[in-house]
Amino acid sequence: MSVAPLAEPEVLVPASEEEAIAAFGDGTGVTVLGGGTILMPELAAGRLKPEKTILLARAGLDEWRDEGGTTRIGAAVSVGALVDAPEPLASAARHVADYEVRSQGTLGGNLCAGPGRGFPRGDLQAPLIALDAYVRSAGAGGERTEPVERFLSTSPGNRLVVQVEFETRDRLGGWAALERPHAHSYTALSVAATISPSGSDLRVACSGAGPYAVRLRSVEQGGLDGDPGEALRDVHLTDDALASAWYRERMLPVLVGRVLSQLKEAG
Amino acid sequence: MSLIINGAEYELASPPLTSLLNVLREEVGLLSPKAGCQQGGCGTCTVLIDGEPRRACLTPLGAIEGAAITTVEGLGDPRNLSPVQAAFHEHYAAQCGFCTPGMMMAATGLLARRPDATRDDVLEALAGHFCRCTGYVKIVDAVLSAAAGRVDTTRPEPEAEPGEPSVVIPGSPA
Amino acid sequence: MKAVGARLPRYDGLQHVTGQSVYVDDVRVPDMLWAKALRSTVHSAEIKKLDVSKALRVPGVHAVVTHEDVPVNIVGHLAALGVPADEPLLAEHEVRYQGQPIAVVAAETEEIAQEAVNAIEISYEEREPFLDIRKAFDPDVPKVSPSGNLFVYEPYTERRVRKGDIDWAFEKADRIVQGVYRPAAIEHCPTETQVALVVPEATGRLVIYSCTQAMYFSMGVVATHLGVSLNDLKFVGGTVGGGFGGKVDTAAETISALLAIKAKRPVKWRWTREEEFLCSSVRATWHVEIADAVTKDGWILGRRTLTLHDAGAYTRFSSYGATKHAFHLGGAYTIPNLSFNAYVIWSNHVPTTAMRGFGVTSVSFAVELHMTRIATVLGIDPWELRLKNASRVGDTAPTRVVLKDPSAVPTIQAAAQAAGVELASEYRAMTNAPRKGKTLPRHLVDQLGAWRDNGGR
Repeated sequence: MSVAPLAEPEVLVPASEEEAIAAFGDGTGVTVLGGGTILMPELAAGRLKPEKTILLARAGLDEWRDEGGTTRIGAAVSVGALVDAPEPLASAARHVADYEVRSQGTLGGNLCAGPGRGFPRGDLQAPLIALDAYVRSAGAGGERTEPVERFLSTSPGNRLVVQVEFETRDRLGGWAALERPHAHSYTALSVAATISPSGSDLRVACSGAGPYAVRLRSVEQGGLDGDPGEALRDVHLTDDALASAWYRERMLPVLVGRVLSQLKEAG
Repeated sequence: MSLIINGAEYELASPPLTSLLNVLREEVGLLSPKAGCQQGGCGTCTVLIDGEPRRACLTPLGAIEGAAITTVEGLGDPRNLSPVQAAFHEHYAAQCGFCTPGMMMAATGLLARRPDATRDDVLEALAGHFCRCTGYVKIVDAVLSAAAGRVDTTRPEPEAEPGEPSVVIPGSPA
Repeated sequence: MKAVGARLPRYDGLQHVTGQSVYVDDVRVPDMLWAKALRSTVHSAEIKKLDVSKALRVPGVHAVVTHEDVPVNIVGHLAALGVPADEPLLAEHEVRYQGQPIAVVAAETEEIAQEAVNAIEISYEEREPFLDIRKAFDPDVPKVSPSGNLFVYEPYTERRVRKGDIDWAFEKADRIVQGVYRPAAIEHCPTETQVALVVPEATGRLVIYSCTQAMYFSMGVVATHLGVSLNDLKFVGGTVGGGFGGKVDTAAETISALLAIKAKRPVKWRWTREEEFLCSSVRATWHVEIADAVTKDGWILGRRTLTLHDAGAYTRFSSYGATKHAFHLGGAYTIPNLSFNAYVIWSNHVPTTAMRGFGVTSVSFAVELHMTRIATVLGIDPWELRLKNASRVGDTAPTRVVLKDPSAVPTIQAAAQAAGVELASEYRAMTNAPRKGKTLPRHLVDQLGAWRDNGGR
């Protein structure tokens, strides 16, 4: 019996941002591989057989610049590198996987990969919402730049994340999460917040309550001395492989309370 | 595609989405990285990529063109152990041995970026590496002893405690 | 005795730290094929249709094996102990657990093998599964095997241990202390998943590279399935990437051997991590109920127990594990009057197997929690309760073995010291010397007297 050669899938390794955007096109039938932490296990298990894959490793998307009061972080910057980012992004980054996997996973993947099979992902989404960050992405309809919150609400999996940017301001950050049973567990629930040094403009968000991170506007309206339980107005909790809705309902106010305390103590 | 593996240059034929783990094991024939889970969860495939510890199973070949790879085979041989290898041997840090290659590469990477690593640093660096035999104590002790330079790489025999009988048992495989 | 207390290098230490240890997956032979299995996606079902013809037509496929290819399909792991054979190597007309292997393919690559597995046509008629062993005695639950859900220890349906006069103990007791303890299933999770490589030699002999923990045992299992003699098999093993009991089962060797025979090529079958978690055997779930007859000053006069052991879909080693469990239900303590019943229950879970301290860790879990419960109920210090009842030289175990050197007393004392607990002086001074005088409680005087009167039986 002879062996027919398997059809070789197309793999592109763009050498610049422009090449990456051109290769992505409108995203139809394209699989984007940033760090590989999510896709490589799927490939190994034979659950994913992409016809066209873009490897972002050499597309120059790993730059991190602070210019004119704006911090710009490329989509291919590793989660591990973000331990040097402003709070609460740094704390959230430190809480992702172990040193090696964290060094391989990317900011872009964290924003566009979406939930896993039966559990939420995207530990960095809440801190980015709290930092009032914007996402620059490419895909159908061309490039656009929009708040992280809006980006997450519009099929982020169909977009190529190019860059994340936020104002480099002297804000106070707070972050709290449920402890993970081991280094490779996804975080079941986390809360991130920032506030200006003068105590105005509180921004709060949580990861783990739903497929993508959610902004907690009711908590923001209540201010630092408000009722942390208000957070439950902004989320729709469900059971998944990591935790039950029952448990999250009890823990979300606790985490919000901790984060508000952190901000009060820091301020 | 080419890689520099343990100092030697290799031209490779594997497709670009092939994991570095499969490239090393199935194309190059370097067998110290193991296929423990192939999803980044166990750590036994960890190698150094340009000096940094990384999971070989999560790394597609196409993303690392020209990179320098180090595996356990590149650390040292039985007559010329690296400090981490000697420490693992002296401290009985390898039991079944299957997680040992990944543990040693993670430890080697840690000591390269933090030569005076503390116990907390070691725990953090090995947090994602699974060992089902030892309970980790001997592994952590081994890395700390390598960090402190308390290993003799020229004498790959465990050192007797003072007062211990020094014995050679006829016929012992040791 | 020069080796005792000496620091000896591990015989395999240097090869471990230099990456030179050769595990099964590291063995390299030319022309090797890879195996993949079609496994049941349901807990319990009749197989209505199994058609592998499309798999055979996938380019690169060299062999497909089903139960029809197995010379002796149904084999018991404990045949040597007279335990009836009940487990098919490959499912025949039914599946009894999710993950049960039904058909296997050998192909040029793992990817092709998986593609061929996906091409196998199968249909099930699902049955209601039986998953809660506590319902084993309900009349209307689904039957896992045609004979029901209870393994039979001839002539009983349970392993029994009887000692002394249990009714006397419960009549004399000041308090009855009861508890239910349910240690859950545990996956062994060896870092090396189940794996085998089988190389057929020109003579017909098979070279089997195996990760088994029990070489001669696995040789017997493979030879029985294949209907060959032991000298037709050359087993190569001894370098195992973690087992912890899970590799006492012969999981991959026999099926790889059948594929190698049929394909006339070497075949490797390496389970994925997901297969290891979902389909490999686990430490069993146990349900242990204990009722102890105790005096208010802390003597345990008698113990009644009921144990349910979840064997999973087939017996494997469960009857042995539950027997060992039953023998140990006294814990490290001497209790003169005992009545233990341990049942092995078949369910539609994956078959369970040995794991570190097979059968006995469930005892330790249950008994030690129960000892603390007794102490709490009686208001007695839990360390003192344990030392008081701890087995001593000359005491008899539940199986009526006379204990010559039990270590309970020094062990509990050492644990107290390690925990920074200050014991009362009489308990600090206690040894495991035979009980006499004040240390011999009335109920043990009666017990020992009766034992001596019986000529030590």
